[in-house]
Amino acid sequence: MTMQPAAREVADLIARCALRDRDAFRHLYDRTSAKLFGVVLRILRDRGEAEEAVQEVYVKIWQRAGQYIPGQTSPISWLVAVARNHALDMLRARRPATDDIDQVLDLADDMPTPDRVAETNEDGQRITKCLATLDPERAEAVRGAYLDGFSYEELAQRYAVPLNTMRTWLRRSLLKLRECLTA
Amino acid sequence: MSTGSQDSKGQGGSPLVAEYVLGLLDSAEHLRVEKLIADSPALQKERDFWSARFAALDSEFSEVTPPARTWQSIETRLFPTPVRASWWDSLALWRGITGGALAIAVAAVGFSLVQPAPDSAALTTQLVAALRAEGSDVQFVALYDGSGAVRLTALSGSEIPDRDYELWAIQGGGVPVSMGIVPVTARSVVELSPAIQAGWGEGSVLAITLEPKGGAPNGIATGPIVAQGAVTRI
Repeated sequence: MTMQPAAREVADLIARCALRDRDAFRHLYDRTSAKLFGVVLRILRDRGEAEEAVQEVYVKIWQRAGQYIPGQTSPISWLVAVARNHALDMLRARRPATDDIDQVLDLADDMPTPDRVAETNEDGQRITKCLATLDPERAEAVRGAYLDGFSYEELAQRYAVPLNTMRTWLRRSLLKLRECLTA
Repeated sequence: MSTGSQDSKGQGGSPLVAEYVLGLLDSAEHLRVEKLIADSPALQKERDFWSARFAALDSEFSEVTPPARTWQSIETRLFPTPVRASWWDSLALWRGITGGALAIAVAAVGFSLVQPAPDSAALTTQLVAALRAEGSDVQFVALYDGSGAVRLTALSGSEIPDRDYELWAIQGGGVPVSMGIVPVTARSVVELSPAIQAGWGEGSVLAITLEPKGGAPNGIATGPIVAQGAVTRI
């Protein structure tokens, strides 16, 4: 994967953090904290919680900097994933467990493994194109799950459909999406 | 079998990993899938595939500058020893340290306590001195634990060829009395001579000078003071 110069710099900063370079960590924070704060704020929808979360996110980044593998994901995507996953963990921790048996799904053994894992610019446009092949409401629901951290319950309320309908919608949409993305 | 997995038949697999990546699963299910993924390279590929594709949406997260205190909190959490200069300047901090907290403070500056550990009564009578000087990177901490010897640890500073660091005690405004040469790269224990012991206590000053190899000739300090500090009760 070729990297833009800006991404290259962020990747270098992460690498230097792995070597316990505090100055690099400070620079990384200066360059990326607005983005990551934006991520946790959007998902948590509470400034106080987002402030707490972004602190924990940078603690994790410092601790896990050595796990970032350049070439597999862009450095910004990696950082956003740390932030997004942390915010989602916080949301999940306070959501009641669902008693949905449907969720205990089998993972098909014969699932073809995707050829290419790493994203490219072309792939970036591709998800937009593939989302556009879905029913607009369903595409919006997928985006809401990713960008806003909406749960099935929240999505069901938002689109005024029963919970199981929302699950079915979304699962079908994801399978369609996968088909389109691997085509 | 569930509707979900029936859906998956002949359609390229279950979207469970995609749901996992989106964060749609509840805690228990999320953990279950996480373990499945950890054990399966194929599922790891599937996870990475979805993560990378959805990451294209990351540009839609708008930037919001966090408040300035956020960075300070992160720094405090990760690097609990405060920045040397500000901490070092604060003898009040040393004075404020109680007997109970002493072990922690001492550990933080790399001191090894006397074994067996002194009891709390002994700790309350301990004396400490922080030695530093403007424009010098030589810094020592000295701890007197009532045993007749000062334990000295260099926090920073480097050896200089053909020169030695020498420790001095200055008591009651008198002339400095040599306590001998001290290493800058190792901890050391310096016995107090009877003369020093006699006037020893809060207000005594310890200083370190840079002297010719072997120490100041005739026991009179000649070199620049690279660090000094008053002895303080803690």
